[in-house]
Amino acid sequence: MVEQDHDSLLMPDSAALAVPRARPRQRGQGGAASAMLGPASLFVALALVAPLLLLLRYSLNRYDAVELMIETVTGANYARFVSDPFYLGVLRTTLGVAVATTALCLLLGVPLAYRLARMTSRWKGALMLALILPLFIGNTVRMVGWMILFAHGGLVDGLVTKLTGHGFELMYTATAVICGIVSVNLPFVVLTIQSTMETIDPRIEEAAESLGATPVRRFRRVVWPLALPGVATAGILCFILAMNAYATPFLLGGPRFQMMAPLLYWEFSTNNNWPFASAIALILMATTLVLTATSGVLLARR
Amino acid sequence: MADRSPLLTTRRALIGAAAALPLLHARPSYADEQVVVGTWGGDYANLLRDNVEPLLKGITIVTDIGDEDPRVAKLYAQRRLPRGSVDVACVQAVRGNELSTSGLLEPLDATKVPNLAHLHPFLRTDNFAPHIYSLQVLIHNPATVSEPPKTLTDLLDPKYKGKIGVGNGNYFYVMMACALAATGDANKVDDPAARAMATKHNDNGLRLYSSTDAIGAGIKSGEIDVGIMWLARVHMWQGAGIPVKATFFSEGNVLYVAGMVVPKNAPNKAGAYAYLNAMLEPAAQTKFAERMGYLPTVDNDKLTGPLGEQLALPGDVKMVPPDYGIVGKLQSTTSEWWNKTMTRS
Repeated sequence: MVEQDHDSLLMPDSAALAVPRARPRQRGQGGAASAMLGPASLFVALALVAPLLLLLRYSLNRYDAVELMIETVTGANYARFVSDPFYLGVLRTTLGVAVATTALCLLLGVPLAYRLARMTSRWKGALMLALILPLFIGNTVRMVGWMILFAHGGLVDGLVTKLTGHGFELMYTATAVICGIVSVNLPFVVLTIQSTMETIDPRIEEAAESLGATPVRRFRRVVWPLALPGVATAGILCFILAMNAYATPFLLGGPRFQMMAPLLYWEFSTNNNWPFASAIALILMATTLVLTATSGVLLARR
Repeated sequence: MADRSPLLTTRRALIGAAAALPLLHARPSYADEQVVVGTWGGDYANLLRDNVEPLLKGITIVTDIGDEDPRVAKLYAQRRLPRGSVDVACVQAVRGNELSTSGLLEPLDATKVPNLAHLHPFLRTDNFAPHIYSLQVLIHNPATVSEPPKTLTDLLDPKYKGKIGVGNGNYFYVMMACALAATGDANKVDDPAARAMATKHNDNGLRLYSSTDAIGAGIKSGEIDVGIMWLARVHMWQGAGIPVKATFFSEGNVLYVAGMVVPKNAPNKAGAYAYLNAMLEPAAQTKFAERMGYLPTVDNDKLTGPLGEQLALPGDVKMVPPDYGIVGKLQSTTSEWWNKTMTRS
């Protein structure tokens, strides 16, 4: 014990303080819990799993312009996606935007959440409200606001033109899409991380401070490991939302900036190609699931 | 060849029914005097409410507002159901013909819709009732363009580089303009010459907009100087103070036609026919011309006065109605080509 440094000394104690010890389960509790979970599980199974199975079945059908779908069992829709560089490029763009958005949201969200969690001011409630206020406005309406800001002759373009003499168009760029998705996802990220940080007892940090830890070291060795599950959940939530973004890439990215959800909608509605649209939906879902599951496993090992 | 065994037919019906379940509205069988109209929202829906509905005494109109694509998807999803959820669906002529080819539509009965007899001959089809129409034209900002373009190839002038705007959703009509300019036939959208014409414009910095209104905003802000649009929209934008003028393509102007169809499984076909007849009444048609700038599809609605002068077409204008039988089959391939070629940066 004597040979251990401050960091390793702090960890067991801090964990013990932050996580309440689970009480032993009493007899009969498990059965009652299962009975209460039953209807909800059944509902989820019917409302989520059944449509997914239907989607899977559709994805194995063949498109026909007149019949819409010809029932068969073929992997042609999946083969078409993975063999065509265009569709793989759209998937790559989607992944790139989702990763960039998640990184930015965490970068901005962690300090914000930490500050909010440690705040004792009477303005805390007002700041929390300010954080969730954008969620009161529909996603599409918010994007229209960004469109006005980014448009040719808009606020950003006008300001830059005034300062430099050259126009600065952000509309229909990857930057615009990432800005838009970050604005949508950031409140979710902050709220998720902040709720985790609220459970971390400030006395642990005080203990670290009394042992000589600098603020940065305190955050890195005490707060960060304890907040990591919340940060991971927030990151996964943000990643999933970004992977499935529709309105933002459609409105801010324009027709030339292709992501999976608008592509899927185009195939489903404009082309009426339900089998291929189903395959795209399942590929998008599978990619998101695999990546989130992998990140979960990696974090658990850590 | 697809398997057509009775078992699979039943399974297909079940899958179709399952897909349609969430789309169904609860509809009691006694509601015979109710007509459900699937339509676009905004001015179009308001004009239907104010000018068509009052002509239908004793019929309750339920409006199902939404975009065209989901409306068409609903019709496909419900195709095997004995009772669908809409009696009248508003669609563009290209989509209407596509639905007709797929066998989803009730043939129009002229005895039940007497006003069909007044339709302009160039707009008549078997299963689609044209409601309004307009012409695809070249647009320009008169403040920045002194010599307006007269043909599609005029837009290839380097002075317009990065200053040409079209709607991505109107891709098929843009391709018809390319086909007309390159081959002389607007229906040859899959002709290599038509595609080459489109890519030449793309190389000249063609701007694609997600929505039609964004093109008007682009003209107003100076983002674009020229573009391709419907004449009706030009009238609307002029009314809204946007500096825009139209010129007719010297090679011909493709017609944009929007109208209504009656699905085969419409629960109230008699009511649907009555609705179609009402929308073809001259008084109702005039209101669409007044508010939206679309031209009446019936010959007994002679627009007069200032409105007639404003919407009058020059005598030498060439109208090009698409051959829906041909272009309907080219939708899917053209859409894929456009998406993979034109929308790539």
